[in-house]
Amino acid sequence: MIRLKNIKKSFGKQMVLKGIDLTVEKGEVVVILGPSGSGKTTLLRCINFLERADSGAITIGDLSVDCHRATKKEILALRRKTAMVFQHYNLFKHKTVLENVMEGLVVVQKWPVERAKERSLQILEKVGLSQQIDMYPSQLSGGQQQRVGIARALALNPEVILFDEPTSALDPELVGEVLSVIQKIAREGITMIVVTHEMGFARDISDHVVFMDNGVVVEEGKPNEIFHAPKEERTKQFLKRITPEWRYSI
Amino acid sequence: MGKSFDLNLVFDFLPKLLSYLHITLLILVGAVLIGLLVGFLAALPRIYNIPVLRTLSAIYVSFIRGTPILIQLFLVYYGLPELLKTIQIDVTHMSSLVFVIITYGFSIGALFSEIIRAAVSAVDRGQTEAAYAIGMTPIAAFVRIVLPQALTIAFPNFANLVISYLKDTSLAFYIGVMDMTGRGQTLGTATNHFLEVYISLAIIYYAVCILLEKCFSLLETRMLRYERQFPVSQ
Repeated sequence: MIRLKNIKKSFGKQMVLKGIDLTVEKGEVVVILGPSGSGKTTLLRCINFLERADSGAITIGDLSVDCHRATKKEILALRRKTAMVFQHYNLFKHKTVLENVMEGLVVVQKWPVERAKERSLQILEKVGLSQQIDMYPSQLSGGQQQRVGIARALALNPEVILFDEPTSALDPELVGEVLSVIQKIAREGITMIVVTHEMGFARDISDHVVFMDNGVVVEEGKPNEIFHAPKEERTKQFLKRITPEWRYSI
Repeated sequence: MGKSFDLNLVFDFLPKLLSYLHITLLILVGAVLIGLLVGFLAALPRIYNIPVLRTLSAIYVSFIRGTPILIQLFLVYYGLPELLKTIQIDVTHMSSLVFVIITYGFSIGALFSEIIRAAVSAVDRGQTEAAYAIGMTPIAAFVRIVLPQALTIAFPNFANLVISYLKDTSLAFYIGVMDMTGRGQTLGTATNHFLEVYISLAIIYYAVCILLEKCFSLLETRMLRYERQFPVSQ
């Protein structure tokens, strides 16, 4: 289980997160929606300390960390319970597909190379990249690169995978292959927190939806409630703007 | 000027000069090794923004870039013994070769540090974040992810610098080092055929430079294999 308590974060004078609380149950898929600048990506990056929140507390499984006072050791321990899939993939460019996936197992989790390779090959098969294991990221399409990113995260068997707009940088025709891989692993019961702008995908995949605006959680609930019967005016406006066709389907 | 030009002497001189090539290469290799170490140490405070050290490193780099290598050579050759005398170390009997290698090492190190710094910042930040996100320590992320790519990015500039310093080693004879150019100087004085000596020297330096360039470009292709756009196998 993951629990965020009263997370606050400012960049200079700009307060980006104004006290966020969030609970994610084991195996749950939580989607965070909201307009750009609402703080969703920052929230995600605070969870694994790519940004350090100014105050608040983060609990993942049996590990609780106070954001303000967190030591290097605690941050490392927290990061080792999480994995992240980035908008721009951020693959290790000098390593092959297989090496990208093995890296964390070998260097961080100290697996023997042979075992790490075996597991990585399994994961790569799951994301449909068995044919590309010896290629370098520069030789892959965006969709393939992002699937490597997902495999790299998945290989570590983390307690939660954080997805930061995983399809925003992709050509439209490549979005589908990535979304279907994410959906596939969601069904396996892996805990996920997903920031996305793909509304249809969000509705299909999520167990719980959080709508953020201006650094606060405006509304949260089951996907049916949020998408079909939002209570807050701001949520309604956002959904209307981002999915105009729904005006006709409701 | 000397006697009338004799082409045969050029070929005559070649082997005599070549027998001193190893001194020239020794200066170069020694300087590059010192330079790599010094350059790396000087780059770190500026990459990690460490106060005081960062300023010192910037001053060092700017001084080296702003003074001719020959002046640096004289400063070290005449200045270092004086400096060491004040702390009771006598280096009057040390070979001038050592002074040359030290000078060139520190000189090349300053330029290396600039190259390394630029190369490290050219590796995109996202990869470091990805390394952190999978739980790597900052040191592991630097050594395993950033550094290998930075070295590849730095390599062409590094190679150019090495080649240009190979040529600069010819100044070593000014403080009495008997390298190839130094030997040429004595040959010229003895035979009065300076032009032939310089032609021979030009041929040798040029040949060594071409050879180095070829080696470097082969290495570069190998290092850049991950930048290839086309599939290796499918």
